[in-house]
Amino acid sequence: MLPVLGLLLGIAIALLTPVRFPAVYSDYMAVGILAALDSVCGGFRAGLEDRFDRVVFISGFITNMALAACLTLVGDKLGVDLFLGATVAFSIRIFTNVGMIRRYLLQRMSGPSRTGSRDARA
Amino acid sequence: MRRVREFEVYVAGVCVVLGVLLVAQFRTQEYIGRAQLPSRRLEDLSDMLRRSDAERGLLEKEVNALRKQLATVGEGERATEALRAELAKARMAAGLVEVEGPGLVVELDDSKRQAAPGESPELFLVHDEDILKIVNELFAAGAEAISINGQRVITTTEVRCAGPVISVNNVRVGPPYQVVAIGEPNTLDAALHMRDGILDTLRAWGIEAKVQKMTSVRVPTYKGSLYFQYAKSVAEGAGK
Repeated sequence: MLPVLGLLLGIAIALLTPVRFPAVYSDYMAVGILAALDSVCGGFRAGLEDRFDRVVFISGFITNMALAACLTLVGDKLGVDLFLGATVAFSIRIFTNVGMIRRYLLQRMSGPSRTGSRDARA
Repeated sequence: MRRVREFEVYVAGVCVVLGVLLVAQFRTQEYIGRAQLPSRRLEDLSDMLRRSDAERGLLEKEVNALRKQLATVGEGERATEALRAELAKARMAAGLVEVEGPGLVVELDDSKRQAAPGESPELFLVHDEDILKIVNELFAAGAEAISINGQRVITTTEVRCAGPVISVNNVRVGPPYQVVAIGEPNTLDAALHMRDGILDTLRAWGIEAKVQKMTSVRVPTYKGSLYFQYAKSVAEGAGK
């Protein structure tokens, strides 16, 4: 619930303030969004697996963002669309993580009989 | 209500960032879509172009009116008869009168052939150079008057690429191009059809070129203004 509220809060903040980035940085923004989305999925999955570590999470988020931005920048300078690499990598990870999340949620919904209830352990 | 777990707080934090980024990016994309070229300068320039086009239209009318006036001034005075004959010849040479006679019409259009992958589509378009070569060939073959899409070719006529179209006498003309020439039809036709000549080259790229010999074609007069700002005539005997 809380992540959804966070997302709504972010959207509300952005809607209420006239925040906009120069069109030149459009690629950076797109990669940044993917990095954030990847972090959210990864964090959520780790949480469901009971192996969430805030240091890993925050550092991963920042590093991913920075690396993606660097790749895009280097690509810009070299005239190669390197940010596509970041896009593909993030997309693959997002798919994997969402797949895992779906599996955990399905297991949880189908009841403790089959999974040995993670909530009970938590 | 169940306890809020730690990861949810952090994920929520990143979600806030994500939300802000999403909205900002949507806004940016929308902005890009709405004004593909946000530069005011482009609008200014196109506005200026429109205005100067309109202005030129007015000036052309004025030029025509003044020329008619000029033509009537000399009438009736016998002493100026020879002068007027000379003037008529000069006007003829300068392309300031509409002329008529045997000749041919060349029609050119962009190639209908699709460029294969890797081939430049530029190759299949009619370029300013193609028109220039044809005009050149026609003059070389003795053409006496030529017009391109209704624009008379005179001494100051340019044929120049102007983006997707061609500028002739500072008027933009687009395909299909029609070059009308007055001269001996067979000679002109042969000049264009020379082996490996201009038409052979153009047709190799699929440019549609049609040449028609005509017993009578009309080449219109030059409609622009003649204004010499820098060139001054050197009168005979006045030179030092």
